[in-house]
Amino acid sequence: MKRVLVGLALMALAVPAFAAKKVQITFWHAFGGGRTAFIQRMVEDFNYTHPGIEVKAEYKGSYRDTLNAAILAARQGAAPHIVQIFEVGSQLALDSGIFVPIEDYVPAELKFQLDDYIKPVANYYRIKGKFNSIPWNSSNPILYYNKDIFKKAGLDPENPPKTFGEVMKACEKIEATKAAPKCITWPLHSWFVEQWIAEQGALLANHENGRAARATDVYIDSEAMRRIVEWWKAMYDKGYYVYSGKPEDWDGANQIFVSQQAAMLITSTSDVTFMQNAAFENGFELGTGFLPIPDGVERNGTVVGGASLWLTKGHPDEEMKAALTFLLWFTNTENMVRWHKGTGYFPVLNTSVKVLEWQHWFERNPAYKAAFDQLLQSKANRATQGALIGPFPEIRTIIENMIQAVFQGKPIDQALKEADAQADKALREYNAAVGK
Amino acid sequence: METETHAAYKSRFLPWLLLLPTFVILLVFLYYPTLETFRLSFYRVAFLGLRKVYVGLANYREIFTNPEYLRIFWNTAVYSFLVVFFSMAVGLFLSVLANQKVRGWRFYRLMLIWPYALSPAVAGVIFLFLFNPQAGIVNYFLDVLFGLRPDWLTQPGLAMFVLVAAAVWKNVGYNVVFYLAALQNLPGDVLEAALIDGATPWQRFWKVTFPLLSPMTFFLFVMNTIYAFFDTFPFVDLLTKGGPNGATNILIYNIYRDGFEFFKTGLAAAQSVVLFFGVVLLTLLQFRLGERRVHYGG
Repeated sequence: MKRVLVGLALMALAVPAFAAKKVQITFWHAFGGGRTAFIQRMVEDFNYTHPGIEVKAEYKGSYRDTLNAAILAARQGAAPHIVQIFEVGSQLALDSGIFVPIEDYVPAELKFQLDDYIKPVANYYRIKGKFNSIPWNSSNPILYYNKDIFKKAGLDPENPPKTFGEVMKACEKIEATKAAPKCITWPLHSWFVEQWIAEQGALLANHENGRAARATDVYIDSEAMRRIVEWWKAMYDKGYYVYSGKPEDWDGANQIFVSQQAAMLITSTSDVTFMQNAAFENGFELGTGFLPIPDGVERNGTVVGGASLWLTKGHPDEEMKAALTFLLWFTNTENMVRWHKGTGYFPVLNTSVKVLEWQHWFERNPAYKAAFDQLLQSKANRATQGALIGPFPEIRTIIENMIQAVFQGKPIDQALKEADAQADKALREYNAAVGK
Repeated sequence: METETHAAYKSRFLPWLLLLPTFVILLVFLYYPTLETFRLSFYRVAFLGLRKVYVGLANYREIFTNPEYLRIFWNTAVYSFLVVFFSMAVGLFLSVLANQKVRGWRFYRLMLIWPYALSPAVAGVIFLFLFNPQAGIVNYFLDVLFGLRPDWLTQPGLAMFVLVAAAVWKNVGYNVVFYLAALQNLPGDVLEAALIDGATPWQRFWKVTFPLLSPMTFFLFVMNTIYAFFDTFPFVDLLTKGGPNGATNILIYNIYRDGFEFFKTGLAAAQSVVLFFGVVLLTLLQFRLGERRVHYGG
């Protein structure tokens, strides 16, 4: 008996000793559902081909939950190595001081991969000339439309509306012909407002969208914003625009469009795969087009939405190296192709785009093409680079409240002015809190 | 007598030793976080505590002077009052009905209690589906019957109504359980006496049954108040996110939002302290006023 126990004890000791040879890397992300499984399969492939490293991917809830969990873990000295952080959390992540600027850690022989990012993506994530994180999942808003309803209303199903005015006209036709109960839906989310601001070449914050220096003033009371709010309000008042009533309700908007209660939907390109399946299941033909923009302005392009992967500081050298190996593998050419096909998120490397083109992927899948063309046609300027604002999550809520107040009848002038003051106050308090 | 009770324990330390686990848990999970919340409410905190600056009463000043926060207090008061009142009124009404020995009473009782077994998150999602203006079943029927399609969550009053309905629906089962138990333990002789004296059912309920139920009403009042203040977060988060334009933003939701979405931990802590004292005050008041009216008869 004793001998058996000793044997067991030895085995128990031996197992971790053997396993300890592997470098353990933790990776926290915010993708639930089918994407968790997708990520898991990729991680398993990595672990299989890299015997010295063991990566553990963990789903940590929403973007906000993931960021909170990472900061709390860092406080306790137990930060995960890699954290996925949403684009508007970039300034916050920089200010938190728990991450390293990743470009400094990329070995010289792998630097080429950083130069491979498509321009709009590099533009967003290169902050003051340097990649602080590895761009990963990137998306844009596009227009999805129901071709069957378009035909019923006598609209050209191959030519979706491209401007606010054209959307309004299409809605008039859809209402007149009763082709669908409502015309258009999109989540009541500040993200679309930010995109429409960028499309007009306007800025959302001073100091060149917070890119040249820390932003100290948010531009909500602006001409660009007024164009958006006026159109949105008119669409709402005429009953063309519908939403579930809850802010930031992506599922609610999808539900309205998929159940054919509305002819058009504006939402993220990352839903292309989902929408294609849903359209097939519900028996209608799906079309995609560029994000409609205000009339009479030049199309500047969209801001890259999504998230990037950040490396936390304070780990031993070999762990930092292993984490970086994983990051660069995870976002390399072939994995970006795989990621794009599996989810609809953009292939963010030039070389992966080439692979997809060589495979005639976009010709065979036109729904993905509109999304991608829109991104590639974006001009590279401060507007489409997107704003860097510390308290962005709070400012998003302020913008969403403002839209709802306007729906309820608050005069647009007053609503813009009040929201502008609130946003400036939030920014002031944030800047004071981070000591800048 | 005293020595006898002590005789159960060999040593004076044993009872303390046995109580120790409880105290440790209370200390770690209740008292320490509470004290920490009090402390943080005097700081301006960045990144969940990575950096903090002492600011004295600035957070409290913000809460009590900013019209946004005053509006949140008002919303909280209205919402809590409606939830407590309707949960209890509907609960009492249903339990009086369910107390009758009609055919299928077991089934009715089960069905009345059943919503309580759902998690608030599930209840919230159910209501979100029901009240979707375009694809929801409520509007489908309203449209068929009356040609109406209200935008439930877009109008401040309607949004508040949906939130109250969800919270009441979820909690009525709890009140039914307790009221039913109380009704079945009522002294039969008093009711019988009233019956012989020729009291109408209305009189019997308001003059006899209701006063006899007062200890239970008092208990439920406290429990429902706590529910309305603390447990209604999921409904707001799932149904309105405080919208439209802050019309349904209540304290418990705003604390979460300020603390974990906007990273204003100090401000959130100050609001927690206000909520804490609010509930303490309300409970004390209830005990003071309630004590006089409650009739522990039977």
